[in-house]
Amino acid sequence: MSDLRTPFRERAAGALHDRFLKQALDIATTKFLALRRDAFGQFPEGETLRDRARAIKEATLQRLDHHLERLVANVEAQGGHVHYATTPAEARDIVLDIARKSGTRLAVKSKSMATEEIDLNEALEHAGVTPVETDLGEYIIQLAHEKPSHIIAPAIHKTKGQVAELFARELKREVAADAEVLTRIAREELRDKFLKADMGITGANFAVAETGTIVLVTNEGNGRMATSLPRVHVAIMGVEKVVPSMTDLMVFLAILAKSATGQKLSVYTTLVQGPRRPGELEGPDELHLVLLDNGRIRQIAGPLREALYCLRCGACLNVCPVYRQIGGHAYGYTYPGPIGILLTAMLHGEKSVKELAHASTLCGACADACPVRIDISRMLIELRQSGVERRTAPWTERAVFRAFARLLTMPRLYRWATPLARLAQRPFVRGQRIPRLPLFFGQWTKTRDLPAVASRTFSERWKDLRP
Amino acid sequence: MTQSGSTTKAAFFARIRDEMRKTPGLFAATTAPRPPAPRRLAETIRRELSERWPQTLERFRREFERVGGDFHRVATVADVPGLVARIARERGGRRVVTWHPTALGVDLTSGLAAQGLESLTMPAAGGGDGPERTALRDKIAAAEIGLTGADLAIAETGSLVLVSGGGRPRSTALLPPYHVAVFDREALVESLEQAGVFFEAWHEGPAEPGRGAAIHVITGPSRTADIELTLTRGVHGPKEVHAIFVDAPIRG
Repeated sequence: MSDLRTPFRERAAGALHDRFLKQALDIATTKFLALRRDAFGQFPEGETLRDRARAIKEATLQRLDHHLERLVANVEAQGGHVHYATTPAEARDIVLDIARKSGTRLAVKSKSMATEEIDLNEALEHAGVTPVETDLGEYIIQLAHEKPSHIIAPAIHKTKGQVAELFARELKREVAADAEVLTRIAREELRDKFLKADMGITGANFAVAETGTIVLVTNEGNGRMATSLPRVHVAIMGVEKVVPSMTDLMVFLAILAKSATGQKLSVYTTLVQGPRRPGELEGPDELHLVLLDNGRIRQIAGPLREALYCLRCGACLNVCPVYRQIGGHAYGYTYPGPIGILLTAMLHGEKSVKELAHASTLCGACADACPVRIDISRMLIELRQSGVERRTAPWTERAVFRAFARLLTMPRLYRWATPLARLAQRPFVRGQRIPRLPLFFGQWTKTRDLPAVASRTFSERWKDLRP
Repeated sequence: MTQSGSTTKAAFFARIRDEMRKTPGLFAATTAPRPPAPRRLAETIRRELSERWPQTLERFRREFERVGGDFHRVATVADVPGLVARIARERGGRRVVTWHPTALGVDLTSGLAAQGLESLTMPAAGGGDGPERTALRDKIAAAEIGLTGADLAIAETGSLVLVSGGGRPRSTALLPPYHVAVFDREALVESLEQAGVFFEAWHEGPAEPGRGAAIHVITGPSRTADIELTLTRGVHGPKEVHAIFVDAPIRG
């Protein structure tokens, strides 16, 4: 995570000067985009399924208490334990308590944004438990002590050369800078951890209420390993991840991977229903489900309700002209990209996104790409509006826009002001444009020109043209 | 049940209900309609497919190969050990772990032995206490080939569905580098939607004895593109998945 004490503007500028990052982002997002387009291109029923998926999300929220009650009852009926966390601190305490009671020393983690959100790894380390990330991308960034830069491709900002150097330094293994070789090394290192681990920690892509099933979607197999081998399984999920039935689940599975990576289905969809059953050789003895609030419940009736539909597929990152330029780290929080701004506001309060709410062109490409058609631009505009209403914008900006708004509502004043503006702009005009403005107005012209006020306005010309 | 967090279930749900009361929601919406009698519907699907399974199989083959799977077809189950032996030999392996005959539908132990393979059959139920289970798991991890059945084969996506349980432990299809799944027309379904009907059916009424706690939908070999988007196979799971379709019903 880049340092939040640095203003977003500077974090973004830093990312823009990182030539490798820009190149990597461009290659990755372009590829994901093409794969997604092809996947839906060959799947005509996809558009209808997206509408159905959106409706299921909304319908589920309308009876969220009922579906969560069913989920809890069914998980418990199968011998699982359910815990309730309002804050990240509570969620961490719950996991630490389970770790203590089960005598856990080593925990393997399957990729989970919810655990990133609650900073679980640090807490585990403090408590003497070693957490090992097992998704290859997450493993790389854990070794590098960094944070994910993309929801589904956490290490896209690293070259294979950098990964080889990292493995040499951290694992004491000299290896070629070759993706296949590096992956094999990671397999060996992590296989050993999987077999020794006491606890498997996962998120949940979905949880099916009617059957009490936790659903994990992975490509590498880390989700299967973490739920099959260790003797304790802890799954941490946001309350909005519940879906009513297996029939509903299939609708989401049909569009999730297509949106994320362009696959028809990810390699492994793992459905777990409680701990190991009698007669079963493998699977955990204990299963714990942690239901996480962390700002979500407040949004059931809040302005960000629609963001609770999010499947965390990452499609909106890949199409976003801002994300594609600056990458995930510059956003500064767990969730980057267009949806990330909304989720940051949800988790950390609206004040945290007073700058980020402007890190969007409002082009709407995110809503087009979103498998459940979340209207991200609408909510970004509302966040900007409430930012102004709460006076979080600088007073100079507010004063200028207030004056401008007045001017626009008074035609007589506007007509008077036009020749004045022409006079005032004279020292700054180059050709028909203003490349640089003084004082705080200079912020505007830092990265673009302002068109000059025309020598004759339209209404002046209209007088001559009118027959 | 332990209640270690400082939020109780009652308080947690009270807050959810408080918020729900404030809004009717964004628009009128319903969830997906569930089949009223999924078991019966699943049987109907199976019956209908028994007439046109060759097309479904062809679609499965195409999609399975597209996701990087190796497809094979044999006439009878007696041909399976020879094929498994060839797959093993070509990859320098000779240790095979297999599902228990009751789970697989057929006993291949002697057939595999006749082919010079060292086979280890999973116990029908349980696996003793902790240390015994660990020892068995280490043997699974040391094998080159995991031989399993498949409960469903989804044509639309080229996926194999494996339900865990007695005689069919989870890691047989996970730890060995080569996974070989044997199935017949009984397992074929056309689409994810049809697979959903079976998922509903499996949960209708009390669980069958011996059924395990996990369902795995497997779509090709384990893969990653996390380093410079280079597609690499066999990260944590198998690097190759072989599907052997048997023309004559396996259970005879």
